[in-house]
Amino acid sequence: MTILYDEGQQAIATESRRVLEARTSTEALLPLLESVGDYHRPFWDTAKEQGWTALALPEVHDGLGLGLIELGLIAHQAGRSLSGAPFLTSGFGAAKAIELYGSDAQKARWLPALASGDSIGAIAFAAGPDALPSRPDVKLTGDLLDGAARGVSGGLAADVAIVLANGPGMPVLTLVDLAGVERTAVASFDNSRGLADLSFAARPAETLAIGHAARDAALHILALQAVVTAHEQTGGAEVLMEIARDYALTRRAFGQPIGAFQSVKHRIAELYGLVELARANCIHAASREGAADFITAAAAARLSATEAYDTAARDCVQIHGGIGVTWDLGLHLHMRRARSLAIEQGSSLFWEDVLVDRLAGEAA
Amino acid sequence: MTDLETYRAKAAAWLDSVAPTYGREARKGLAEADDLALGRRYQKAKFDAGFAGINWPTEYGGQGLGHLEKVTFDAEEMKHGFPNFYFGISLGMPVPVLMQFGSDREFVKERVLKALQGEEIWCQLFSEPSGGSDLAGLRTKAEPDGNGWKINGQKVWTSWAHYSDYGVIVVRTDPTVPKHKGLTYFWVDMKAPGVTVRPIKLAGGDSHVNEVFFDDVKISDDHRMSPVGGGFAVAITTLMIERYVATDSAGFGPHLDLFVDLAKDTLLNGKPAIEDGRIRHQIARNHAMRSGLDSINVRARLMMQAGMIPGAEGSLNKLVAVRSRQKLSELAIDLQGSDGFAFDEHASQKEDWASSWINAPTGRIAGGSDETLLNTIAEKVLGLPQDHRPDKGIPFNQIPA
Repeated sequence: MTILYDEGQQAIATESRRVLEARTSTEALLPLLESVGDYHRPFWDTAKEQGWTALALPEVHDGLGLGLIELGLIAHQAGRSLSGAPFLTSGFGAAKAIELYGSDAQKARWLPALASGDSIGAIAFAAGPDALPSRPDVKLTGDLLDGAARGVSGGLAADVAIVLANGPGMPVLTLVDLAGVERTAVASFDNSRGLADLSFAARPAETLAIGHAARDAALHILALQAVVTAHEQTGGAEVLMEIARDYALTRRAFGQPIGAFQSVKHRIAELYGLVELARANCIHAASREGAADFITAAAAARLSATEAYDTAARDCVQIHGGIGVTWDLGLHLHMRRARSLAIEQGSSLFWEDVLVDRLAGEAA
Repeated sequence: MTDLETYRAKAAAWLDSVAPTYGREARKGLAEADDLALGRRYQKAKFDAGFAGINWPTEYGGQGLGHLEKVTFDAEEMKHGFPNFYFGISLGMPVPVLMQFGSDREFVKERVLKALQGEEIWCQLFSEPSGGSDLAGLRTKAEPDGNGWKINGQKVWTSWAHYSDYGVIVVRTDPTVPKHKGLTYFWVDMKAPGVTVRPIKLAGGDSHVNEVFFDDVKISDDHRMSPVGGGFAVAITTLMIERYVATDSAGFGPHLDLFVDLAKDTLLNGKPAIEDGRIRHQIARNHAMRSGLDSINVRARLMMQAGMIPGAEGSLNKLVAVRSRQKLSELAIDLQGSDGFAFDEHASQKEDWASSWINAPTGRIAGGSDETLLNTIAEKVLGLPQDHRPDKGIPFNQIPA
């Protein structure tokens, strides 16, 4: 697969950017921070209406049959516009798990609904600092789940979840219908992520994979989501670089634009470097889906994108000075998003280990 | 296979066939004079095999192929450690500029053919003691002298001047106008009376750069390669010629695999260092950075192949790769602890961490310092303002010293 975008892909990027810029604003996103459990409905309505939920799913299940490259392009634009809900990524991860590891009946039950966006999917693998625990907190006994999955993005609104459970003594990847499951909203620094703790009490679960196969499957799903998120992070970093540049061109101090001072212009030029490295890694990773080095490529994309977004958030605020830390300007929306995206799909600490294990030839 | 893949395979096969004669192993232990002689034979062999001047016109002995074939060949060639760096500057910048701007076409043709075959070497006389990044602030002057010119002044950091037959030079011909407007571009015979070349020993021990002194060096006007006062534009052309060269995401230092091997073979606190979080962090970060640069390079090549102009991100390689190579080399020496003192000044920068470390600063300064590159990105790519320049618009001879 080539890493040059074709005309169709470029059109996806242009069109999604146009739509999202028209329908999102700082003013609409700020109030979401102050209410727990809400998300930006116009964003999710747009995603459904534009077919983004169906984009990377197979046509036989009402998807559009495109792939990670196209979904990455949407995610990049969503990152630029601070997407108002996490469901695009979490739904994609859940759908891929069902597509790759589910039965025909499970696919028929869930994939068309996830493709249309009528159902929302979530992924529950992590236990605190461990993005892929070998002994998850959630226990599977027979086909019943017990215990809590903490900090699940989109968990508050999800209809179906892919849960990594302790089976016992070995990891089991399960599919769980969330109807009626007890959820506790997590009051977060980034409240539009739909974060929830899910509590399972003798909840029926369907097994997708067991043992090593479960772990490999979970890592693959996590990597697919990580590539999507990396695009989103790169989009966020890119727009912050532009905001910093524009401010440095207009704000004057000591008789000249602050962008004429090397301490400021070099900071922004360094951001350019981080953004382009992240972008290049994202494009590469998206083109490697299905290849033997996909996990390595996904890890590289994830690491460079997290670094780019965090650094851009830090530096863009710094370049703005006092105005940068005000509520109304909203740069803190990016600060918050940079951190929530840094944790979702596993932190840099996790991906560094995944990457180095592979580079050192220690992959399981 | 695409045409380019066929070309790559053909190039790789030829390079493999000559590697035993001219490559890394053949060069081991050679004194520089012998290495240079081997390099000249290698360059001649390249010419005879049709791999010299790949993207140059056939009338000048080139192959008339595209830039892509050139970059493809260079990437393959890099793997073998051939003695080709004596010709890197010569064929990279001065000779192409001569082809473009030299007035006596017969003379030009003769020079180009000799340079392509490794018989003659050209150097580039730009930087001066008073300024490297500030090229237009140069002070070496050429004054009218009969029908020609007389050059006086000093150049510095001139790579391979001590082996060069000719050089291209930018000099000040009018100090009464603003600095960019008073420059003129010439070629000079490096063996002419009044030219003195003095090698400079660098921190790592080698001496490939020089000071070059000009004392009443007389040249005729047919040496001029730009309009009088139009030298800066030609100098910029020189610097832009090889904008998309074969790059190396290792920053021309050791491959990351060598660091991983070192970390696996080194015990730290009783465990292999590859299990140490601090070491793992650096490996992961370096890999992510290098894979990003590699992807940028591949994309640039694909864009050229598709007839498009690659983006400005290609300029990141030198900035990002060399400084991280410098830090990784420090860490590699740390890892070796008391075994890390050993130093062989003839070791390859691509294989030896100490050699990579001590020579890294040169890579961050030569050919555009980190700071200059950041300025270029900020100004040309992002549209940020130029720095405050007190010398702007002022006649050169009135700029406060």
